[in-house]
Amino acid sequence: MNTINLTINGRATSAPCEPRTHLADFIRETHDLTGTHIGCEHGVCGACTVLIDGVPARSCITFAAACEGASVTTVEGLDEDEITAELRVAFSREHALQCGYCTPGMLVSARDVVLRMEAPTEQDIRVAMSGNLCRCTGYVGIVKAVQAVVADRRARGIQPIPDGGRTRLGPAGSGNAAERGAAPAPATTMNGAISASAARPASVAQAENWKPQTTFEQSFTVAHPVDVVWGFFGRVEEVAACLPGASLNGPARDGHVEGQIKVKVGPISAEFHGAADITRDEATRTGVIDGVGKDRRSNSTTRGQIRYAVRQAETPGETRVDLTVGFTLSGMLAQFSRSGLVQDVANRLIAVFVQNLEARLAHQMRGDAGPPPAAGEFDAGSFLSSVFLGQLKRLVGRFFRRN
Amino acid sequence: MKPVNFDYVRPRDVEGALRFIANDERAVKIMAGGQSLGPMLNMRLVQPDLIVDITGIEELRQVEEKNDTVVFGACITHADIEDGRAPDVTRGALRTVARGIAYRAVRNRGTIGGSITHADPSADWISILAALGATVTLRGPEGSRSIPIENYIMGALEADLRPGEMLVSVTVPRLSAAARWGYYKSCRKTGEFAHAIGAFLIDPERDVCRAVFGATESRPIVVADARRLLGDSSAPSAGFDSRLADELVEAGGMADPIDRQIHVAALRRAVEQAGAA
Repeated sequence: MNTINLTINGRATSAPCEPRTHLADFIRETHDLTGTHIGCEHGVCGACTVLIDGVPARSCITFAAACEGASVTTVEGLDEDEITAELRVAFSREHALQCGYCTPGMLVSARDVVLRMEAPTEQDIRVAMSGNLCRCTGYVGIVKAVQAVVADRRARGIQPIPDGGRTRLGPAGSGNAAERGAAPAPATTMNGAISASAARPASVAQAENWKPQTTFEQSFTVAHPVDVVWGFFGRVEEVAACLPGASLNGPARDGHVEGQIKVKVGPISAEFHGAADITRDEATRTGVIDGVGKDRRSNSTTRGQIRYAVRQAETPGETRVDLTVGFTLSGMLAQFSRSGLVQDVANRLIAVFVQNLEARLAHQMRGDAGPPPAAGEFDAGSFLSSVFLGQLKRLVGRFFRRN
Repeated sequence: MKPVNFDYVRPRDVEGALRFIANDERAVKIMAGGQSLGPMLNMRLVQPDLIVDITGIEELRQVEEKNDTVVFGACITHADIEDGRAPDVTRGALRTVARGIAYRAVRNRGTIGGSITHADPSADWISILAALGATVTLRGPEGSRSIPIENYIMGALEADLRPGEMLVSVTVPRLSAAARWGYYKSCRKTGEFAHAIGAFLIDPERDVCRAVFGATESRPIVVADARRLLGDSSAPSAGFDSRLADELVEAGGMADPIDRQIHVAALRRAVEQAGAA
């Protein structure tokens, strides 16, 4: 807990708050200013929009601590504001609200449009207001109300202020306060506290009718003969050792293994604990890996299947491996969908996997003594300290707005 | 929808920030405007032990205009550029692109350095700055280095940051008076991340002609000598070579023909825009 000093609606206030408390919670919970509404809580819906140092910003993705010393104006603080007063009348006249949930944010954004834009067309207003979502009455009345207030003010000779009156550089709300220094004792959170107690099913064979939400295919070629590569894929411990971030709890028994895999994409990380069953068909040189896993931190579960086929490549002495990866993700991590990025991640993961695999096979072919080369030697930055092929499609959400 | 309980510091200078990020025993994350990181924290996709807020650092909130470049501090916001508080030496390219980023309430806090380092392939700054030939400057325990922005982006959400390093500024070259540019992004909804971006610059006096296919799901595809895309004609839009563009996108790793078509069309429109300017 730290004490945060802010000016809210013209009154200097201070209240204790945790660093993780966002501004919307701070003004609602500690000052009972519940006019600021929280809708999506990830910067998409606009209901929480307030003025910070005089310009609109999302209070749900702005931390109170980052606004130390700033001046915040909520919808309650706009009672006497001239533009907002005119907007209230226009909103009533045009039936620009129904349930009213989006209205505080709408008013703050509408005020910004009226203040800054000289003669916006209906289209201009729709674009400018597109960061505020209304889910009941629709936008026709809102746009009409904004347009009417703009037209009226320009007719009265009131000029727009295109930059909203801001003169300072940098994020609104920042730069008002002094340094805040030394970090106290390490946070007492679950970070790093991973226990191996995740429930693991005895068998993970997929139900007959299980269909993955997402499927993709990948192929790669290894500069070793088919027999060698096929044999390698039969040694689960070695395959896992080539997969960055993966580790097994013990040797495979009857094609059943238990272990974990760490997934890290940019700042996102997860650690899935789980089990896999492996079946192989010598005749066709194909295999199936069925797996389930659970990330306790995000309470997300995944179920997946990797099918692989090993065959002679066009170049003699080389082997082509075809992968079909299908997976389903549920829980918190599943709320996000960003198709396409997974392909980039998968490509880079496979590149590392193949690199590790080649190194391992070369090591064995030479009959070198000593331990095989370490896996996961991957210097493409911090990105893939570890990654599991299929998990990522939904990890990286398009839900969040850009920086 | 509440973040994990992290610690928070707000250093006064870059050296202070570097000291905090040097500690690799804890999960440390730098935050600028927080408009991408904030949602990820709320969703607990990111669970840091320590957040280092760099927006209190005066050096990062400054702009320096030089003869042939302008240097933006990492914490200059999209709105600073949109409103002209930070000078635009690109004949309106940066201001115009800034205006189309997300929404005004986001632009008032979102920063150029944060957006680039977040390395979302669909982010506007990455594409337009690559077309303009911008460089980023990173500072870390081993000193300072500058690299072209397209090299800084290593893939989706992955920037070329060495341990303990952070981005401090972005340097954009001044365009000459005859330079023309174009920028087109394909979005289904205003303010959302683009599905395809085309960015184009032709600056004959400086002998520069660059094209960028952006929003590729990975690194931007940069054509450093884009004159070959223009065919024989001297009028940029007259001879846009869609077939060559398609080959370049395919060579850049885009397999899906529909994706390629959208990206080629985005660049063609950007080139046409430059021709009309």
